[in-house]
Amino acid sequence: MLAMVLAPELAAQGDATTRLAGRVPPAIAAAVTALADSARARGLPVAPLVDKALEGVVKGVPADRILPAVRTVLDQLDASASALRATSSTPPGDDAVEAGGFALAAGLTPGDIGAIAQSADRSHSTAVALQVAGALAAMGVPRAQTVGLVRTAIQTGRPVGDLVSLPGQVQAAMAHGAPPAAAAAGLERAAAAHQAPRPHGQGKGQGNPHKP
Amino acid sequence: MSQELDLPPSLRAEVEAARRQVSLSPELEARVMATVRVRAASPQHRAWRWITAPSLPPWALLAAAAAALLAFVLLRPASVGSPGVASPLATAVGPESIYVRFILVAPNAREVALAGTFNGWDPTAAPLARADSAGTWTVTVALPVGQHQYAFVVDGRRWLPDPAAPAVDDGFGRKNSVVSVSAEQRRIL
Repeated sequence: MLAMVLAPELAAQGDATTRLAGRVPPAIAAAVTALADSARARGLPVAPLVDKALEGVVKGVPADRILPAVRTVLDQLDASASALRATSSTPPGDDAVEAGGFALAAGLTPGDIGAIAQSADRSHSTAVALQVAGALAAMGVPRAQTVGLVRTAIQTGRPVGDLVSLPGQVQAAMAHGAPPAAAAAGLERAAAAHQAPRPHGQGKGQGNPHKP
Repeated sequence: MSQELDLPPSLRAEVEAARRQVSLSPELEARVMATVRVRAASPQHRAWRWITAPSLPPWALLAAAAAALLAFVLLRPASVGSPGVASPLATAVGPESIYVRFILVAPNAREVALAGTFNGWDPTAAPLARADSAGTWTVTVALPVGQHQYAFVVDGRRWLPDPAAPAVDDGFGRKNSVVSVSAEQRRIL
């Protein structure tokens, strides 16, 4: 039983150690491995921490700035997981936690993460919704509009392809000179006008409690 | 006239009848024209005219078809390890992955590479090829479904975000670009 409990943690530790070996100075590798252990113990994904350490080394960043950046990523993953756990009785998947962490890095808040997660359903996974929201925020769409646009697209039953295409549409509008906020406002109006019938039991505010 | 002479007698009456001018009553003409105007102004009719109007030259349609074909080729799922998948990233991707083409215009660059979370930020894993004399560099890589951060490495030392993609702070004072690949629709954010 103990082996079953420890197996994922040992695997994660081994994976982090393997990925860091030879590419990261030993002192940084040891510190990142310790952070990775802490992350795994809290049910958080480890790969983003290792990625950030590798990125810092490859970009030639001084060692004393790499660990704070890794800790920032860990904090974002932690905040993302907390926000997601508050909206569902089932533990969030690594992909959703990572997407939430990215959305936080892009400027959204834990409250925004929770609001988007609540609107996710079987057709629109939490991870994809958060990825879209993060991309919109990274493009400069204001927070409230980002959340409103993603929630509206989901709640009006737009296909997941339409949801995924939102950042591209905003980008296209921006290429024609529209500010991000105006581009998103136009898309939200269009999404609101598209009131497709939803399957029974998936009405507004009734997110799937078993979403990943 | 000579055509009339060639007509068989049985058809001459039909031709004469067809030549007689038909006059409609003013009321009927008004009703018909009113109906035509209403139908022409309807949203459905305007949408149909927009769809069917020959507003694009033939070469544009050919270009669109070529672009659709290219998109199909680039966005089809990659089967890892199958013949023809020569990407150096092929061994690192899962069964659900999508070919994505990256483009950077850097006329003065001697070499350009793509590094990101999908290749461990290895600046040697995905070099771009110079596509033309204008300095367009491209590379096509198979990305696993999910969200990835990346940047271009120009001449081995300059890290540049992709000007055509959303970007986030990298935590080190620079920007990383972001690409997301969705399994459901095989679309790129």
